[in-house]
Amino acid sequence: MNMRFEVTPNLCIGCRTCELACSFTHTIEGKQARSRIYPLDGGLKDLWVPVVCLQCDDPACVKSCLVDAIKFNVDTGAYEIDDEVCVRCMACVAACPFGCSLFDSHQNRVVKCDLCGGDPACAKFCPTQALTYKSALSHAG
Amino acid sequence: MINISINGRLVQAEEGEFLLTVMKRNGFKAPALCHHEAVEPYGGCRLCMVEISKPQWKGWKDLVVSCLYPVSADLEVQTDSEAVIQERKTVLHLLLARNPHTKEIKDLAAEYGIVRSKYQEVAEPDDCILCAICTRICDAMGFSAISLVNRGHGREVAPPLNEPPPDCTGCLACALNCPTNYIKYTDNGMTREIWGKTFEMLRDPQTGMPTITRVFAEYLTKHREIPEEYFGLGDESHRKRTARNFGKIAAWTREETVREEA
Repeated sequence: MNMRFEVTPNLCIGCRTCELACSFTHTIEGKQARSRIYPLDGGLKDLWVPVVCLQCDDPACVKSCLVDAIKFNVDTGAYEIDDEVCVRCMACVAACPFGCSLFDSHQNRVVKCDLCGGDPACAKFCPTQALTYKSALSHAG
Repeated sequence: MINISINGRLVQAEEGEFLLTVMKRNGFKAPALCHHEAVEPYGGCRLCMVEISKPQWKGWKDLVVSCLYPVSADLEVQTDSEAVIQERKTVLHLLLARNPHTKEIKDLAAEYGIVRSKYQEVAEPDDCILCAICTRICDAMGFSAISLVNRGHGREVAPPLNEPPPDCTGCLACALNCPTNYIKYTDNGMTREIWGKTFEMLRDPQTGMPTITRVFAEYLTKHREIPEEYFGLGDESHRKRTARNFGKIAAWTREETVREEA
């Protein structure tokens, strides 16, 4: 895992392009998905905070899952929900302290940010570089 | 890695992997009602039956349930041969005799051209096919609140002694994963009732949206070390609070204070 998804709220202009990109990227059988990223009001003038899964080190969603449906993907650094294993008990939705594990009622499944399998669409469409996906090594330098 | 052939196509698999898993991964379909990835395969519905053979078997063939059959080298699989279809039709006739009014069973039988069972229908049919997905998931989650009870004609899914189960947390996993929607529950946002037990729902104080039952949250706090306060808010309020928290960090560098939430 040498790539990192970075959110820089100061650069966000609240255009919600990321929401659209997310929703359309995760379309299944023509049904648009619930967006997994939410640009919300940060409570200051011109401050928008794109709230998205932080891929925590010790995630509450994984701890709360009683059937081990949420697995860490070593290649992308994302925790992914295996929809075939998920039993829809909503434990992770209730447990996530950032509210980033969501129930998609249209697709009838629990969803969370999976970094699009290593190529996040929101970062590609963000016009202001508030969302970026880049090498963790280049950031250190 | 070994090579096996499914309907004449060569696919790769790990030795000992179950056949249905290999078939699904490679896009081959077989009907299955008792299969759920969260629990071990069960071989209960007998619908994922396929025909297998090997070159060294000199033309002998065998019918196996693919969900429980570990693959080995040189296996030749036919998923829709004449014998398989016959076998599936028999199973569907039996299922249809047990559940003549169940939509999912009727739809599946119709795919194989069966409208009415050739066997005598049971006197008081219900929608349960005894696949045990509900009880197996309940076991896998660590509750074991319900189980299959009695034998023969009287076999059914039930809580212990047919009383409200003490170990049930009202997570609804049994009802939501039932392939025939047999397990009934009511949920009005304030309370939830299943297996004759009534649960209080936790609700977001700001939006009023229900999250999970109080008993389930207490279970997760006790056994999975999720802090109790995480269950105090719903997901929407959690996100709003996260945004405000970032706002507070940003406020350190600005001559401004974070606005109160509307």
